[in-house]
Amino acid sequence: MNYFQLFGLSEKFTLDNTKLLEVYQTLQKAVHPDRFANGTNQEKLIAVQKSAMINDAYQTLKNPLKRAGYMLKLRGTEMPNEQTSFSDNAFLMRQMELREMLAEVKFADDIDAAVFEINQTLDSEFSLLFKALQIKLTECNSAADKLAVEDLRKLKFYQKLHVELDRLEDLLFDD
Amino acid sequence: MALLQIAEPGQSTVPHEHRLAAGIDLGTTNSLVASVKSGEAQTLNDDAGNDILPSVVSYQEGEILVGEQAKKFAISDAENTIVSAKRLIGRSLKDIQSKYPSLPYSFSGDENHPEIQTRQGLINPVQVSAEILKNLNARAEQALGGELTGVVITVPAHFDDAQRQSTKDAAKIAGLNVLRLLNEPTAAAVAYGLDSGQEGIIAIFDLGGGTFDISILRLNRGVFEVLATGGDSALGGDDFDVVLVDHIIEQANLTRPLSNAMERQLSQQACIAKEQLSQNNQVEVNLTIDDKAWSMSLSKETFNGLIGSLVNKTLRACRRTLKDAEITVDDVIEVVMVGGSTRVPLVRSEVEKHFNKLPLTSIDPDKVVAVGAAIQADILAGNKPDSEMLLLDVIPLSLGLETMGGLVEKVIDRNTTIPVAKAQEFTTFKDGQTAMAIHVLQGERELVDDCRSLARFELRGIPPMTAGAAHIRVTFKVDADGLLEVSAMEKSTGVESKIEVKPSFGLDDKKITQMIIDSMTNAKEDIQARMVKEQQVEASRVIESIQAALVDDAALLSKDEIIVIEEAISSLAKIALTDVADDIESAIEILNDSTATFAERRMDSSIRTALSGQSVDEV
Repeated sequence: MNYFQLFGLSEKFTLDNTKLLEVYQTLQKAVHPDRFANGTNQEKLIAVQKSAMINDAYQTLKNPLKRAGYMLKLRGTEMPNEQTSFSDNAFLMRQMELREMLAEVKFADDIDAAVFEINQTLDSEFSLLFKALQIKLTECNSAADKLAVEDLRKLKFYQKLHVELDRLEDLLFDD
Repeated sequence: MALLQIAEPGQSTVPHEHRLAAGIDLGTTNSLVASVKSGEAQTLNDDAGNDILPSVVSYQEGEILVGEQAKKFAISDAENTIVSAKRLIGRSLKDIQSKYPSLPYSFSGDENHPEIQTRQGLINPVQVSAEILKNLNARAEQALGGELTGVVITVPAHFDDAQRQSTKDAAKIAGLNVLRLLNEPTAAAVAYGLDSGQEGIIAIFDLGGGTFDISILRLNRGVFEVLATGGDSALGGDDFDVVLVDHIIEQANLTRPLSNAMERQLSQQACIAKEQLSQNNQVEVNLTIDDKAWSMSLSKETFNGLIGSLVNKTLRACRRTLKDAEITVDDVIEVVMVGGSTRVPLVRSEVEKHFNKLPLTSIDPDKVVAVGAAIQADILAGNKPDSEMLLLDVIPLSLGLETMGGLVEKVIDRNTTIPVAKAQEFTTFKDGQTAMAIHVLQGERELVDDCRSLARFELRGIPPMTAGAAHIRVTFKVDADGLLEVSAMEKSTGVESKIEVKPSFGLDDKKITQMIIDSMTNAKEDIQARMVKEQQVEASRVIESIQAALVDDAALLSKDEIIVIEEAISSLAKIALTDVADDIESAIEILNDSTATFAERRMDSSIRTALSGQSVDEV
């Protein structure tokens, strides 16, 4: 049973978050270990397993990038591992530029404004790519899926940059 | 029939009868026990009518004192009187000495298992906590009129694995059945949530004596979902006292080192002054220095100046946690104040400013955690089978493994909902490598040295292969108590080696058994009798629960399958009448194993039932 089936959802990329949360809560109410605090060891063991699986399923379906990766995997198109080199040179150049921008932030005259600007840049480039991914995923053929995997890999670069920006913000504004 | 004979007084083999359960707030400064009585959760009093038990244990000649009685020795016999043991459990000696350099105790034992030298011998901080738990358990049994089925014990949300494990060990030594370790802020949310039936995002600001937690929860359809939690395991009201003591020392022209008695006198007076400043703008601090009376006046302004940076630290944690939860201050509909230190006016006003709303304080901040724990205990004990309430908590700190170059690779990120299971694959880096060292860490930093080391173990017996050919799968499992179990196996050749680890800071089973025996000789009880009784209680509990399951779901089993289970039940019922603990334990094991398939089918069936209630959006 895959995660979509487990949640009684059809295998579509766009899904209703409210509905997802509702099913998640209903499932956890049925299997959470708290329901078996008085049960046998076997019941407790299985409750932990099922509850952990439902948590993982929920996180996978809720997060759009995880959901995309999971759908592609179900369709038989696996993500190449992180070491596999990128062929898109323009993209790589852009990433290096963005990294430089990040490194420059702390020297900016107005740090607040610099952070705001890079945040906007990251967000707009992310949503462009994300829309492209969404369209490819609806095509449901292996050629489109292969291209979708490339988009997904690129989106993960942006996700990493975002994490680094967050960390930078913590450093700059906390002390 | 035989089954009834193994029931203990106060226990019952009849399903759905009220089971006695309690919630315990095992605090740094004070501890409480609460229980649901006639539908209402309330704290339980001791003989003197107090519900608050100071978390102080004093090791006197021939007796162990707990609470107020122990507190009397805090100054005169500081070396043998342990206060704030919660700050010490699950920590290394190095940790303790760097964080609390002026403790009056003399430590021994090894680096990872520090013990305190008292006149009753070496005492592990876990044993100190066990004494407090025993005292509260006795109080609850007296108040409720019977033995407890189980307890829920609260811990700070940011407690790491070693601290949680140590708390559970303390309960084991005290002879308690732990239904769940519950995070303190979540307990507070339960106490408030059931009152108001509110839906939306709430923030719990929990500043206790020695710890600070901030948790962001979403309340929806009876589900308390923790979105993120943060805090500081070494920040609390005690730290307000510490900066105030430093200030007093300066004003009184004293120089350290001071005697243990003087240090205790200073911190007691500082604490009194702090508490008075919640009501007054100016107070007198009185000391006896070299038998002479000395006093100074202290204004609220001066005090606020002293603690300002500590309060700011809590607000920084709030900001970070809101960000982790991916929400903004405006999304928060309610802020709940928990812990005695939230009585400090500066804390209240700063929190109000930060969240831009008046914090909730309607339930006594000292009692709210115990009350919430009692509500959860009542449900877990099975007294409310129709309850819709469910708590979904998270792990407070990321879990990871050491990789090449002293770096940490995260396996489970902080704020992941528990229970959770995650696996990561690694490979060998040398030809013919047959063993691999696995080092488990907890924390957010990238370097091994900056994280908490939880456990080290070696996976041996990997078949010799070329470098990179082995597939070593390391699995992390965190249960609903937030406790971690790590296992590793090599799977490419079908050869499986599996090791389960216990944290390096925890106590091994042998040591725990020894501590139980030690505590027995004090109470003049018999360890054998206790173990037999524990197994008998467990046997009747297991039988009861399987019989109830058979009544509900026998349809999921074939006739033959039912016969196998019923035979295991009657053979356990027979063995449970004997007095050999090991035999009963193995009969329980056999019965448990015989129900594996049954349990799995029941779980799947309840998933199907739950889903059928939902409108499934099929294409």
